[in-house]
Amino acid sequence: MFRLFFNLIIITTALLGMAGCEKSEPPVFRFNSVEWVKQEKTHLGEGEHFPEEYKAEIGTIMTALFGTPDDPKFPFFLGDEDPAHDIISLENLKMAAGPTRVDKREAASGLYREHCAHCHGITGNGAGDTAASLEPYPRDFRLGKFKFKSTPLRSPPTDHDLTEILVNGIPGSAMPSFRTLPDDQIQSLVEYVKYLTMRGQFERFLLGELAVLDGEPLIDLSLVDKPDGEEPSEDDIEEFEDQMYTVIGEGLQERIIDRWLRPERKVTKIEAAPVEFDITHEGHSEFVQQGRELFFAKGNCMQCHGDTGIGDGQLNNFDDWTNDWIKSAEVDPDDPASYSDFSAVGALPPRPVKPRNLTRHYYRGGDHPDDLYLRLRNGIEGTPMPASTAMTSDEIWAVVAYVRAMPYQDSKKNRSVKPVNEKQVMR
Amino acid sequence: MKRVFFCTLLFVFCVSMNSLAWAQDGWGNLTGQIVISGDVPVNQPEDVKDNPDKAVCLVDGKIPLDDGVVVNDKNQLRDVYVMMYTGRGADTPDTYHPSYDAQKEVKLTLDNVKCRFVPKASFARPGQTLILKNSDNVGHNCRIATMEHEHNVNIVKNAASEIVLGEESDKIPGEVKCDIHQWMDAIILIRDNPYVSISDKDGKFKIENIPAGDWKFQFWHKKGGYLKTIEVKGYEPDRRGTIEATIKAGETLDLGTLALPGEALTK
Repeated sequence: MFRLFFNLIIITTALLGMAGCEKSEPPVFRFNSVEWVKQEKTHLGEGEHFPEEYKAEIGTIMTALFGTPDDPKFPFFLGDEDPAHDIISLENLKMAAGPTRVDKREAASGLYREHCAHCHGITGNGAGDTAASLEPYPRDFRLGKFKFKSTPLRSPPTDHDLTEILVNGIPGSAMPSFRTLPDDQIQSLVEYVKYLTMRGQFERFLLGELAVLDGEPLIDLSLVDKPDGEEPSEDDIEEFEDQMYTVIGEGLQERIIDRWLRPERKVTKIEAAPVEFDITHEGHSEFVQQGRELFFAKGNCMQCHGDTGIGDGQLNNFDDWTNDWIKSAEVDPDDPASYSDFSAVGALPPRPVKPRNLTRHYYRGGDHPDDLYLRLRNGIEGTPMPASTAMTSDEIWAVVAYVRAMPYQDSKKNRSVKPVNEKQVMR
Repeated sequence: MKRVFFCTLLFVFCVSMNSLAWAQDGWGNLTGQIVISGDVPVNQPEDVKDNPDKAVCLVDGKIPLDDGVVVNDKNQLRDVYVMMYTGRGADTPDTYHPSYDAQKEVKLTLDNVKCRFVPKASFARPGQTLILKNSDNVGHNCRIATMEHEHNVNIVKNAASEIVLGEESDKIPGEVKCDIHQWMDAIILIRDNPYVSISDKDGKFKIENIPAGDWKFQFWHKKGGYLKTIEVKGYEPDRRGTIEATIKAGETLDLGTLALPGEALTK
């Protein structure tokens, strides 16, 4: 605690130094205007707005803590001993940040802008130049949600999870493989994605605080920075420290950074598959059949993926990145006029989330059986795909075996054949 | 700046002393009854659309009404969270009455009945086990999303799944949804501080065994958020819908009838 507060002083100094600064040169991190509009619609009356000054204040806080696209910083509150050094190194951030270098003799830098920004945006808001024309839309990192990972919902992915995505790409989306990049460059991009994510999460947290502030600043520097060198009172200092603790200590350190530390501790254990999972085992086809029954009964999979697994079940859901703002009052995802306030600040037109077509053997989060096991065991964060909490690991493996067999079944035959346990099918 | 630094140290010191020096000198209760004044917002029919499970979800053959604002015939309001405020700048006790120890061991059931979550509003402690039950003859999923917690569990017909909640505490309640029947929604507050009461069908609430002292209590409802316009005799709720009340050892502080203007619930 002592060291944390000591370093808050440094942050305070940085904040004081920032006050009155001119806007930095482009490129800059873009303000999360969609969240701003959402918070206004949630908490204020028709036609009411938060004071514009908050945008400047949030920008100042963000820049003091996280720097700029050309000069990234990370809030290591405990200095050299900060445990966050295990998940982020400034050196790696700098390799990914900044303008792309064309001079091959120089050390690599600007990797993010070279490989990622055109889709994910400089800010990691999923709104790069190409975003609107891609299906699915590129990921907006700022919600802190990741679909394909070895950890349960709300637990951050491991570096290994993110590396897998970068190395393998995401089949069925525009995300390509970056297999040709050397390991150190992949690692620097992994850390930069985490950096943009934590930055975005914190900005959303600050925006979420506005509703209860009633026009007062998030951090009132005038409490300790009095005109003509006047000494702040004890009450002023206590109030200031309270604000610092709420915004930085709790809002950033405890709620965001601490949870990104050691994600490995949350990794879901993958139980070994039973011997029947092996396609050469004599019991395999019976095992696949068992998976088929689970698909229709205990798994309730056909509800979304459809009876034949082509992904034609429930089609009117949205993912969390879209639900995040379309759940605001008066928004109808089918009526662009109803969400024009959001479109005006960059929200992309909402598209329903598509249940995967399981008769094509590509899987976005990887085609290793372990990947499919994790999707079933934990569900997929940010989507309606739920966790199969009630299934035993052997049952999950049976469904994995069935899903893996689906592409190889005669689709016409598949369509007409009802499962043996038809009566148990829900509906 | 030097002075700020010194005071920071002092602050840290005081905080750690506080927790040592804090001593218990008795417990008290807080009660009251919430009633809507003026017009009660009218609940609209749920947006069932052409969901294939419609037959199971109808109540008496009709599309059910949204249960966002539930009152009895005297306009007394259910599902208001009355809770010790733990947000920005809050003073909270370090220990809780031993009667709350057992609360964490109880398994809390969240049922699905005719495509409706029962109960609508619940309170759970971190680490507590939730039984996600499905009494319907259709599949549901149960998506819990609060500030600190997220679960999305598949619950097949006439069955139940159990989950164990994580250790984080929320400041305000979060949502429970079903993706298959998107009109379904419930509310859940998950936090360690047990001083929470959800108003019952008669609008009554009671928080028991609160440490004697001055605490802030907050009024919150799903449709109205922070109930800053709630009328509490002798108190003036702030913009976060909180009042500061003095709890005396061995006494029950009765706030009487609290009137909430109906307009507060029209969000």
